[in-house]
Amino acid sequence: MREIIKIGLILLLIASIAAVVLGLSNGITNPVIEEVEMEKSQEARAEVLPEADEFQIVELDDVPAGITEVYEGLVGDEIVGFAIKTATVGYGGNVEVITGISSEGEITGMKVVGHEETPGLGANATTAEFQDQYKGKSAESEIGVVKSTPSNENDIQAITGATITSDAVTKGVNLVIELFNNTLDI
Amino acid sequence: MKIFKTLKNGIIDENPIFIQLLGMCPTLAVTTSAINGVAMGLATTTVVVASNLFISIFRKVIPDKIRIPSYIIIVATFVTLIGMFMNAYAISLYESLGLFIPLIVVNCLILGRAESFASKNKPTISIFDGIGMGLGFTIALTILGIVREILGAGSIFGLQLFGESFKPAIIMILPPGAFLALGLLIGLLNYVQKQKKSEA
Amino acid sequence: MENMLYGSSSPHLRSEETISRIMIDVLIALLPATLASIYFFRFNAIKIIGLAVITAVITEWALQKFMKKPVTINDFSAVVTGLLLAFNIPASAPWWIPVIGSAFAIAIAKQAFGGLGNNFINPALAARAMLLASWPVIMTNWVTPGTDAVSTATPLAILKGEAEGSLPSIMEIFTGNIGGSLGETSAILLILGGLYLLYRGVISWRIPFVYIATVMAMTLVLDGGFTNMIYHTFSGGLMLGAFFMATDYSSSPVTPKGQIIFGIGCGLLTSIIRLYGGYPEGVSYSILLMNVAAPLIEKYTAPKVFGEVKQNA
Repeated sequence: MREIIKIGLILLLIASIAAVVLGLSNGITNPVIEEVEMEKSQEARAEVLPEADEFQIVELDDVPAGITEVYEGLVGDEIVGFAIKTATVGYGGNVEVITGISSEGEITGMKVVGHEETPGLGANATTAEFQDQYKGKSAESEIGVVKSTPSNENDIQAITGATITSDAVTKGVNLVIELFNNTLDI
Repeated sequence: MKIFKTLKNGIIDENPIFIQLLGMCPTLAVTTSAINGVAMGLATTTVVVASNLFISIFRKVIPDKIRIPSYIIIVATFVTLIGMFMNAYAISLYESLGLFIPLIVVNCLILGRAESFASKNKPTISIFDGIGMGLGFTIALTILGIVREILGAGSIFGLQLFGESFKPAIIMILPPGAFLALGLLIGLLNYVQKQKKSEA
Repeated sequence: MENMLYGSSSPHLRSEETISRIMIDVLIALLPATLASIYFFRFNAIKIIGLAVITAVITEWALQKFMKKPVTINDFSAVVTGLLLAFNIPASAPWWIPVIGSAFAIAIAKQAFGGLGNNFINPALAARAMLLASWPVIMTNWVTPGTDAVSTATPLAILKGEAEGSLPSIMEIFTGNIGGSLGETSAILLILGGLYLLYRGVISWRIPFVYIATVMAMTLVLDGGFTNMIYHTFSGGLMLGAFFMATDYSSSPVTPKGQIIFGIGCGLLTSIIRLYGGYPEGVSYSILLMNVAAPLIEKYTAPKVFGEVKQNA
């Protein structure tokens, strides 16, 4: 009996020391981590909506499925556009996209911020070459995906060999267009 | 002299990957690029050195019956620490290694060194054992990462090696490429060793 | 020395069958389809077939020299592997695709596991899977037969709704005037070759017939009717896979019951991949998966030794 108590106490001691050490370092690193992550999403938002000086989160009551974050971009007090994060299902998992859309209804930029797509194929969605296609598209109609050089104004060319990923990204952008037209239109 | 021998033991004679085949999970999963291999190797080295040191210091205090749970707590503490600091100060590395940082806890290399070396030896030599094993692990992971990155992405440490006409074999940075590269590297090393022996 | 009398152990009666005889039969069976692919794809077909075969033979020779083993390129098995691999490559592929593929098939899938008879998966299919995973764009860049080689889609991809275009007629599918890899185009010539192998006793009817029947039944029931079933059966790699790949001696079961299970498994997997999976074609992956399962199938279908008593009975 005495031995069990002794062993238990030693284990407790080791675990407590570990807990104290971890607690202390969590105190040091947590603010840094939060800041780094804030900065990162701030940077992504600024990239897709360069016009805005400042971003403010918008709380919407009934957000359609797939939309995870809505920010409005401000210059002074005036709303110049929105930076909206979406998550759609791709080939390997969720594809997270931040789309910038101006108050006039023009896509100002798009950035794939998180994905689990196949390297060399779907992962090419993060290249500037693919993402820049979305720039300047209008929110008047949905964006379509074609396999060859697009002839329609609102079409983009799919990544070679990764149609599913291209569709997922485009679906995210189209969700943003829909949200803009139905809910955010001012 | 003993220090040198311990180091060489970890890096060459009992290389954790190529000879002992320990810690296969991170080896196969994260070596998609050279930089990932280096980072994973160094993270593991830090953990194995720190856990070796502490386990060696407390080897007489920790009762035999609860040594495994005690080792796990010590190892897990260091792994969590590394995860936190990487997340704070090296976020891109943290994101590319992702899930495999917490999994360092169950890397059998670390528990294996704790059980077979640190719990029986003095702290100083245990540190060197940790350094040797960790470096052996790092070197192996880096070689694998380099081979896979060159063949699978046409680059090394992110630098493009070839022109547009080079079409990398994507399979090498996918899971099957890990098995292929590891198998062939081990085969090559065995062959070299056999040649050496027959010459001697 | 020729008049020396040997006292050898049994068996004293041997079959006339040798490895090279079997392999020559396979080559004869593949000849019509080879000629058809050269007719359809012209120089591209000659280039790919030639490179694949030559690389396979050279790799086998070089590795066996290096490992100081007897060189067995005279048994033609490397030629067959190279030819089968070439049949799995689209005509538009650049020259290094068959070269890398053949080297991989012989070096990794065949010789690394101990050479002919010891490979646990079909070398040509292993190489195809490797090529497809590595260069998916090149390996699915189908072109129309003929010299102008216009980019096109395979009938199966059109059937699945992954590609636009109109389905070729059933007659075109039989003769092979469709988009696809070199050897999967002409169903009728492949069947001819398969029947020759059956007639020669090189392969048994079980794996190919059960395989094809399973795919026919599955697609008839699950993919809406007779026409689609015809397309599923005669386009794509089913004929090539069923007659020439799934019947590979060392990677398929030897027991009759096992061969039937193997055929059903291949058929089920092929149909499931084609109808519900991410790829329009699933023959190669199904055969590879069943290759891996072959030892297990054999274990459970091994005939009972005469006089053996069931344990724990």
